[in-house]
Amino acid sequence: MALGADRYASRGDTVVLLCCVALSLVAMSLPDGVRVPVTSGLRRTVLWPFLQLQARFEQVRTSQSRFAEVVAERDSAVLAATFLRELQAENARLRALIGLKPRVGAGFVPAEVLHQGTVIDRLTLVISVGSRAGVDTLATVVAPEGLLGTVSETDVHTSVVTTWANPEFRASGMAADGSVYGIVAPHGTKGPDTWLLELRGVPYRQVVPVGTVILTTGLGGVIPRGIPVGTVIALASESGWERTYLVRPAVAPGAVTHVLVLVGSHAADLRHAFFPDSAKVARPDTVRRAVAPDTARRRRPVPRDTGRRAAPPPPPDSVQPDSAVPQDSTKQP
Amino acid sequence: MRAGRLVRVWAAPVLLVALHFSVRSRLGAERFAPDFLLLALLIYTIRARPGASAAAGFLVGVLGDALTPASFGTGALAHTVVGYLASRAKAVFFAENLLVNGGLFFAATWLRNFIVALGSGKLGGPQLLWELLVWSPLEGLTTAATGVLILAVFRPWLSIRLGER
Repeated sequence: MALGADRYASRGDTVVLLCCVALSLVAMSLPDGVRVPVTSGLRRTVLWPFLQLQARFEQVRTSQSRFAEVVAERDSAVLAATFLRELQAENARLRALIGLKPRVGAGFVPAEVLHQGTVIDRLTLVISVGSRAGVDTLATVVAPEGLLGTVSETDVHTSVVTTWANPEFRASGMAADGSVYGIVAPHGTKGPDTWLLELRGVPYRQVVPVGTVILTTGLGGVIPRGIPVGTVIALASESGWERTYLVRPAVAPGAVTHVLVLVGSHAADLRHAFFPDSAKVARPDTVRRAVAPDTARRRRPVPRDTGRRAAPPPPPDSVQPDSAVPQDSTKQP
Repeated sequence: MRAGRLVRVWAAPVLLVALHFSVRSRLGAERFAPDFLLLALLIYTIRARPGASAAAGFLVGVLGDALTPASFGTGALAHTVVGYLASRAKAVFFAENLLVNGGLFFAATWLRNFIVALGSGKLGGPQLLWELLVWSPLEGLTTAATGVLILAVFRPWLSIRLGER
């Protein structure tokens, strides 16, 4: 069939057109009383599936936007919670600092840490007090948790603190009971080792258990005695007749916001300031003498059925425990 | 054979109707989003006679007017005229070229909007000029682009075969 001739409008097409135009004009002139039921009926019948389809897609669209809103709200809540924890931590630090002040007594200057911009800055910090406040070089800087470092530079209003993370940092350290001495220094200069300390020069025959608190000794006259430096977490190495222990620092330089600069006498023992109940720190088994293997073999064995352990004899210079092994447990079988 | 022909004829219009009620609201402002219903009508007119195209236009217009009752009947009139003229124009041009079809889609959209704007009597002055010179051409462009895309995709089904009605 020839397409062109077939698709040209015939009289019938014209009639249909005219009818449709006439109906359209009628529809345009319908009063509201008729038009409203007609349109309503169309929406309820012919258009209903299409409107349902549109409604479903709108629901999906709304759900997606609502989901995005919920995600945004959740993110905001998480952000707020993050700040809340930070504020709580800062509040706790400030409270601890306030509690530390009266115990330290006279001879300190409170300061704020001014700059913690980069990781490198944690090796040295700037604090908000200087020579006008009486701060001098080599003054000890402490946080509520323990030793942060020493002042390396001062000007009128600010000072630079060399933290324990600085490779040049050294301090004389001891176990909390005073039985073991060594030199505290940064464990490494690169990577995660930067954020650990080590206790060097511990005699081979002395064992420092994990968990022992290391304090400053006060030797050298720079850093006062009794400031917590960290906690032993592992044996790092043995060389020759000495051992080196890994120490987890008591103070994280990146988290410190407020500090005390000690400007008084360096001869004071500050153990009571950091450990008001210091007996808890110096446990009897903190440091025990290493026992030679042959000596251990000569010891009488502990009967297994007793379930009791033979406690090692406390070192002469250690503090007696307040909550140590029960008395009967200390008896030799 | 008959079922296959029905599918070929109605697949694109049905798809366009579905698109009109599903994704059109996501394609930007309604003033210049492509009018899938009009496009379905225009694609239908590729094969249909002018009378059938006019009737289809009337139906599409009435259904559209049911959703915008304020100007009930105007859309029916506009779609009727556009459907009839589109069918006549395709018969005259025998357009198989995509660009020609795109031009027809653009002109049909603009003409439909022109008739609706005049017939409803709700636009006048600057508003009418904005409608006819800015928004209608924009809608015509998006509709034409969508129509050309649809024709390109469904070309094997929509091409007119001699000896087939």
